Amino acid sequence: MEQITTSLAPPRSSQKVGVPGSTSDASGSVTKRLSSELMQLMMSSSPGISAFPKSDANLFEWVGTIEGPTGTVYSGLTFKISINFPPNYPYVAPTIKFDSQCYHPNVDLNSGAICLDILQDKWSAVYSVQTILLSLQSLLGEPNNASPLNPEAAGLWKSPSEFKAKLMSTYSPASA
Amino acid sequence: MTTTATPAVLAFVEDKWQEAFSNLNHHQPGISGLMTLSKAWKIAADFLRPRPLSQPRPKYNPVEVKMAFDVLGQTRLLYTVLENFLDDMHQQEYLIKHEVEEYMSKYEETDDPRIIAQLVNRLVEWFNAWHPLAEYDSSSVPDLWLADSQDDAPKSLGHVVTDHFTVAFHTHIYSILPPSFSRGFKVLVASTLPISDDMSDNVKLDQSAWESFFALGLVERYESLIASVCYEHIEGYIRKTCEGKWSEKMLTGMREWMTKKMVPWMCLPYARGAKNSEEAGKMMSGVGSRFDYHVCKVLCDLRTSEIFDMIVDFPDSKPALEDLKECLHRVDQRSNLVSTLRKANKKRLLHPGADTKDILTQYVSIIKCLRVVDPPGVLLYKVADPIRRYLRDRPDTIRCIVADLVGDGENGTSLVDDNDPLVPLVSRDVEDYTDVTWEPEPLDAGPDFRANKPGDIVSTLVSIYESKDLFVKELQVLLAQRLLNVTDGNYEKERRNIEILKVRFGEAALQVCEVMLRDMTDSRRIDQHVQSQKPSLLHPIIISRHFWPTLQTGTFTLPSRLRAVQEEYAREYTAFKPDKKLVWLSHMGTVKIEVELQDRTLEVDVPPVSAAIVELFSERDRWSVDELIAQMGRIDRPSVSKGLLVLVDLGILKEEETDNYRLLEIAEEPSSEPGAVPASRSAISMDELPGAQTAQQQQAEQVRMYWKFIEGMLTNLGLLPLDRIQTMLKFAPGYDRSIEQLGMYMEAARREGLVVAKDGMWRLNR
Repeated sequence: MEQITTSLAPPRSSQKVGVPGSTSDASGSVTKRLSSELMQLMMSSSPGISAFPKSDANLFEWVGTIEGPTGTVYSGLTFKISINFPPNYPYVAPTIKFDSQCYHPNVDLNSGAICLDILQDKWSAVYSVQTILLSLQSLLGEPNNASPLNPEAAGLWKSPSEFKAKLMSTYSPASA
Repeated sequence: MTTTATPAVLAFVEDKWQEAFSNLNHHQPGISGLMTLSKAWKIAADFLRPRPLSQPRPKYNPVEVKMAFDVLGQTRLLYTVLENFLDDMHQQEYLIKHEVEEYMSKYEETDDPRIIAQLVNRLVEWFNAWHPLAEYDSSSVPDLWLADSQDDAPKSLGHVVTDHFTVAFHTHIYSILPPSFSRGFKVLVASTLPISDDMSDNVKLDQSAWESFFALGLVERYESLIASVCYEHIEGYIRKTCEGKWSEKMLTGMREWMTKKMVPWMCLPYARGAKNSEEAGKMMSGVGSRFDYHVCKVLCDLRTSEIFDMIVDFPDSKPALEDLKECLHRVDQRSNLVSTLRKANKKRLLHPGADTKDILTQYVSIIKCLRVVDPPGVLLYKVADPIRRYLRDRPDTIRCIVADLVGDGENGTSLVDDNDPLVPLVSRDVEDYTDVTWEPEPLDAGPDFRANKPGDIVSTLVSIYESKDLFVKELQVLLAQRLLNVTDGNYEKERRNIEILKVRFGEAALQVCEVMLRDMTDSRRIDQHVQSQKPSLLHPIIISRHFWPTLQTGTFTLPSRLRAVQEEYAREYTAFKPDKKLVWLSHMGTVKIEVELQDRTLEVDVPPVSAAIVELFSERDRWSVDELIAQMGRIDRPSVSKGLLVLVDLGILKEEETDNYRLLEIAEEPSSEPGAVPASRSAISMDELPGAQTAQQQQAEQVRMYWKFIEGMLTNLGLLPLDRIQTMLKFAPGYDRSIEQLGMYMEAARREGLVVAKDGMWRLNR
């Protein structure tokens, strides 16, 4: 519940920021972009990744689902993420964090924050929700242990059985 | 019971006795009066006594008889005489009975109605012989039955006597006539009816015969029988004459026949005693209108039962329909007509075996026919409803209608009459209050009846569907196919069609079609330009993707030589129009190839797929289908097979064994049946080129997209109620379904095990 309320606030307030008059125009084009991304994502049918707006009233807040890639310790697990698009998307990267607890070297276990270059300094307007989701999915199997958000997990990565045990102890199956 | 009479009573009785006696005695001295009376009685009784016909009544002195009756009349004994006579008659009845039995057994053996006629005559003889007034017509002879009434002049009892006698006689013969008599009588009456102009071999019944019938009371008694004879006769005649004869109006002829043939006959039973034709006409008017009604009803029933075939025969059956209209005016059989036609349609038209085109043709005929029968269109509305509903469910209805609209009918017959005025389609949801010819809706119109402007078949057909958008869409698809199949660059026909349709559907609706047409001409222009810059083998048709229906995409690897040509052309094009880029639909169009084989050189037009295959066969002589598919990239098996088949038909390839083909370097002798080759070749004619997707395919595509969205939202959001799904689906472009439709769809998905519903919440079945 807390998540919903906190995540509801930013896009709305930030939407009001900006030059009046151009707002509707700008948000119109963003909406258009998000709609077409949604369409693209829906029709692409990439296995194991999916996302959808949280409610029909707000296209700036999505819920995503990522299935752990097969052949990794995350195989068979499903993680929920939340995606918040800024009003000046796609010039600014969306804010993405894990809603399910995810034991991963590049994910903060408690806040769900993610350390991924394309979500920060490497962001480009040509990326889309689909590319983000695909990147996240591959990140699960191939963490960047050089810049860990979860040093413990980074340390354990070399010993898969222990890592798996730790992962499972924090994992709770995603549900509605 | 014993009572002691008081002296007063005794005196009273005595007094009465004296009075009665003196009355009988005619106030004569002694009993001489009584003697006269008894003699008179004897004469009267003897005179009246019923005798066998073989013993005619002896001659009586009329004066004597008259005197005897007068005496009886004065003593007020005439009633007693009558009673006595009736008693006598009763005793003699066995005489008649014998004869009736004789005749009837003879009739039952032979079934000859003439015996019945003889019997009737015989009975009339009996009747006349026994009639108490038989020889004494009141006009010529003094009235016998003059009763002495106390105050006035003597009163005649003649009619009373006749009534009593007639009733008694009739009662008697009715009681002895066996049931078979009525049958015989019916045949007798029927056999006298005018069947045709030639009546020579009929039993002739003249006025006198009918007089006999009247005398015996047979007309009254068998009135319904006689009527039914008439009805049956009329019915039989009409059926015989009119059945299957739709090309001329029959009703007038039938009415004439009634006047000429039936009325003279009917005058006998129904206009008895009419002195002149005017009087007869008056007497006949009631009966006549009843029979006229019957004529209409029979014809109406007949035509109703034939209605389906009449509609098939339209317009040859138009006179019959006009008859029907007139009959329906007189006879209220409209609902019967509706139900019959609906039943016939259901049985003969609205089943999977019927071609959509045929259903449409018949529907159009029904429209035209019922407009003849019932101009306001109530009948049509009622009959058309099931057809329209059925057509709506048929997948190819729109296609058929549209194909017809653009004159694509295979056999050349068009649903739409060319003479029909071209009227723009207008939706008439509101009444036109300025219409001076406005009439109220007919009585039997349903609540949602809406009168159609007569004559506009096209708008009726288009209105099968709720919006004309579907038509325009299908029209686009059809146009796309036709345009792509035009090889000689002559688009005049299509242009003409579009112009015609513009009148109907409006300029705006057909704008897309305009663009498509322009693409074709533009292509030629652009091609000319590109060719002038750098001659190329390729002559592409360049279409504006957004304005064309989705074309089947198929990407396969063109042979490198062709690909090079394509790329070169694309470069030239981009140089000409820098802001545009060509996306090739390589599988469409035709390729002119020249195949050089050891013994022959073939120059043929083939689909690109076939060209690609030929290219591959130039590398080696044998290929299996799977190998070809592997070489050609993303292509489906049927397309390859089709491409192969074209080449096999051309005698370039031969299928050695299943799915293995060999190049025929040296032509083989054509197979034993040379006729088979052109036949199969025509089967894969050029118009089977992959065309545009039909509207139906597009719809399936849409549904697939909606499912993706539903899947997406349920994956991410978990449980959702139906209304939530409905509102979320607005993210899907072009979503226009109602929540009911969505509910049905979800239900279908549930049955397929894709989703699970619990407490009104839906989730994916994982």
